[in-house]
Amino acid sequence: MRSTTIGKQFAASALALAVSFGAYAVTDDDIMNDQNTTDDVVSYGLGLAGQRYSPSDTLNTDNVKSLQPVWAFSFGSEKMRGQESQPMVKDGVMYVSGSYSRVYAIDARTGEEIWQYDARLPDGIMPCCDVVNRGVALYDNMVIFGTLDAKLVALDKDTGKVLWIKKVADYQAGYSITAAPMVVKGKLITGVSGGEFGIVGKIEAYDPKNGELLWSRPTVEGHMGYVYKDGKKIENGISGGKAGLTWPGDMWKNGGAATWLGGTYDASTDSIFFGTGNPAPWNSYLRPGDNLFSSSRLAIDPDDGSIKWHFQTTPHDGWDYDGVNELVSFDYQDENGKTVKAAATADRNGFMYVLDRTNGHFIRGFPFVDKITWAKGLDKNGRPIYNTVDGRPGNPADTQGEKGKSVVAQPAFLGGKNWMPIAYSQDTGLFYVPSNEWSMEIWNEPTSYKKGAAYLGAGFTIHPANKDFIGVLRAMDPKTGKEVWRYNNTAPLWGGVLTTAGNLVFTGTPEGYLKAFDARTGKELYKFNTGSGIVGSPITWTMDGEQYVSVASGWGGAVPLWGGEVAKVVKDFNQGGMVWTFKLPKDRVVSR
Amino acid sequence: MPRSVTLLGLSLLLMWMSAAHADELLNRPTDRTYDLIVKSGYLKVGVYRDFPPFSFEQDGRPAGVDVEIGRAIARAMGVGFRVHWIVPDETLSDDLRNNVWKGHYLDKTRLADVMMRVPYDKEYAYMRDSTGEMINGEVVLFGPYQQEHWAIAYNGNRIDSVPTMAIFQYHPIGVELDTLPAIYLSSGLRGRLREQVHHFRSVGQAFEGLATGEVEAVMAMRSEVDYQMKLRPDRSLKLAATGFPGIGKQQWDVGMAVKSTHRQLGYKIEAIVDGMVRSGEMKAVFDRYGLRYSMPGFYEEILGASNQ
Repeated sequence: MRSTTIGKQFAASALALAVSFGAYAVTDDDIMNDQNTTDDVVSYGLGLAGQRYSPSDTLNTDNVKSLQPVWAFSFGSEKMRGQESQPMVKDGVMYVSGSYSRVYAIDARTGEEIWQYDARLPDGIMPCCDVVNRGVALYDNMVIFGTLDAKLVALDKDTGKVLWIKKVADYQAGYSITAAPMVVKGKLITGVSGGEFGIVGKIEAYDPKNGELLWSRPTVEGHMGYVYKDGKKIENGISGGKAGLTWPGDMWKNGGAATWLGGTYDASTDSIFFGTGNPAPWNSYLRPGDNLFSSSRLAIDPDDGSIKWHFQTTPHDGWDYDGVNELVSFDYQDENGKTVKAAATADRNGFMYVLDRTNGHFIRGFPFVDKITWAKGLDKNGRPIYNTVDGRPGNPADTQGEKGKSVVAQPAFLGGKNWMPIAYSQDTGLFYVPSNEWSMEIWNEPTSYKKGAAYLGAGFTIHPANKDFIGVLRAMDPKTGKEVWRYNNTAPLWGGVLTTAGNLVFTGTPEGYLKAFDARTGKELYKFNTGSGIVGSPITWTMDGEQYVSVASGWGGAVPLWGGEVAKVVKDFNQGGMVWTFKLPKDRVVSR
Repeated sequence: MPRSVTLLGLSLLLMWMSAAHADELLNRPTDRTYDLIVKSGYLKVGVYRDFPPFSFEQDGRPAGVDVEIGRAIARAMGVGFRVHWIVPDETLSDDLRNNVWKGHYLDKTRLADVMMRVPYDKEYAYMRDSTGEMINGEVVLFGPYQQEHWAIAYNGNRIDSVPTMAIFQYHPIGVELDTLPAIYLSSGLRGRLREQVHHFRSVGQAFEGLATGEVEAVMAMRSEVDYQMKLRPDRSLKLAATGFPGIGKQQWDVGMAVKSTHRQLGYKIEAIVDGMVRSGEMKAVFDRYGLRYSMPGFYEEILGASNQ
């Protein structure tokens, strides 16, 4: 932790103000209403539902060309890699995390640092999932975030001093945290990231005041959930009722289903929605069955962690399609004019699903990518109709010392959409989905070794589906499943999306551009190169009567970790670590 | 303290660090060539952490056959032995990248001079990816020193004998998570043994399960099985003589790896290890841990099967 002189002065004056007015603390109301307020961003997703929609319309399709950078801030050191964070803003201060478990408080007007916190990571740590961090939670006087060694850290928002640190899971067993935690009704909610084998996903609630565990809900069938009261651990039901219903043998004990992307919350049904990762091990032939609750969406009771309903997008996942993608609540009118309480999610597996968020029932589903080969479609319950001819990678155990036959599956395991969040516009009724068009070739690889021993691995490579683009930003109509417009990008898209009442859609590209599009037509209206690839999620807010936009810049994440033909597209992109902040100057609001 | 003195101290410190350990300023590992290793006075030997009987901590000191061999190599080179613990990643290629040639992205300056227990397989060494690039071209695999096999230990009070693998349709068997035995027993043999497979975090824990009766057999590498049998002088524990139909690799040779630009170091170590294999010193190391020893296939051809 270090503090600049200016930062100290600022912190001192902010503290004085806080004392005199009792202001500046983030309340449950602030968080619950975040989607309606334009002068702050105090939740991941600009509202707990995760719509990433701002009602600000000062900045709009007419004047966005006058958007100007006002400051840029460097995260410093040589840790220039994978800035997947979404900044938060409260009372003129920006709170943003950097890769390698770092957090910064920045004067949102000037870009000057107030304080910085660098988590001390243990030696020999091997996080499964790169060094990214996707953001912080704000609550009361605290900035709270998860670390690569699977801890929650609460910092004083004015000084950056540690208030408490709580271990969520054992990093030595392969656990990590990369997602932003969220605060729901005074409870701090987090999931866990984990490696391919041996872990069990879970969702947990902590008391943000002191880091005490309140409840824990495992996301694999057969594991007991608990609530904690007055220091006592009380059983709260086995996830899925009992072990072994959808798993063979004792495979459920290490079933995966990591909750690595965090969740969303819907106040109208009082449900937390979490996605769960792929089942472990990767080889699906070891675990015949649906393997609940892997590759699913879960609705969780925020009070005690009980599972209200589940919807599994890829039963018996054999492609690493995961299912962590965010479930975004929205309402729409059906053909009879009745309001439907829906929620939508764009899955790694290439299908977008619209669910009834009151009960998890499938309403409709449709591809949001150009081609899906692993399934022929979805049945009336939303279950995939598998391509049983050549859709599933072969069984490694069938390989007799020979390299197995290749199976080509589309999308690739990196997904039709990966972690990067979608946005929903209340004005257009469209979802804006950052997607990628690529396939993977998988074959059994008998010449493989692990920890000094012979092993049966799978070899794979990712192929771009088209010559001239991989990324596609799409506007999808959730009522019809139709693509309304698309923007093709040369490199894979890996950043989040933001939409505003100014009829704008923002996203970043690995080529370094922050781009703005017309939300109705997809026409590109603005671009600015931030100097390194954007893989973070943009935000917008108003301050001193002007509308601001911020985004983290710094190429990295999972794409450059994989070789093959995709590497050729991205190999020349330079890494980085900055936050860029833009505004529409007052005198440019009317500029035609 | 005057600024110049601080700077001098700092630069001396940096010089010392770059010569001895790593280039912290540029955040990259020192290129520890053979000459630099000799000059530094020690050899950093990469071994897997918590991996008995090959490499583990005993009474706070590194122990195990791979550690002993590493010590013998350092001794023959006239330098000290330093252990470099390796936390295994998902594949061997990851381990080679993280520990031999590039460094892990969280700790780029931390590399071993030589890594032990690297399977010696020409096909693996020359594998190419879909774009034709060598997958393991940044390392040299050399110096095979042992041949490893699969083995099963079983509880003789529960199982009379193990004539074929088929009996494990009826008897619970323990394996370590994410190993070939786990894959073989769960998906091979048409999945008929699947319900009987119990997964453990380590072979040691699987043998605990054998002791408590949770499982009636354990399948693992032969050296691991031999070592656990020696640790647990339980007369009911027996070694199965069954084969492993359809397992792919029944046995494989184990050697070492250095960075491809450090062949001089590789030649030096290869000569030392070759001497150990031929003189019987290698077998003696395995004997001390109670392990059966098989020479690598490479030597079988040269010295004849009688040396087995």
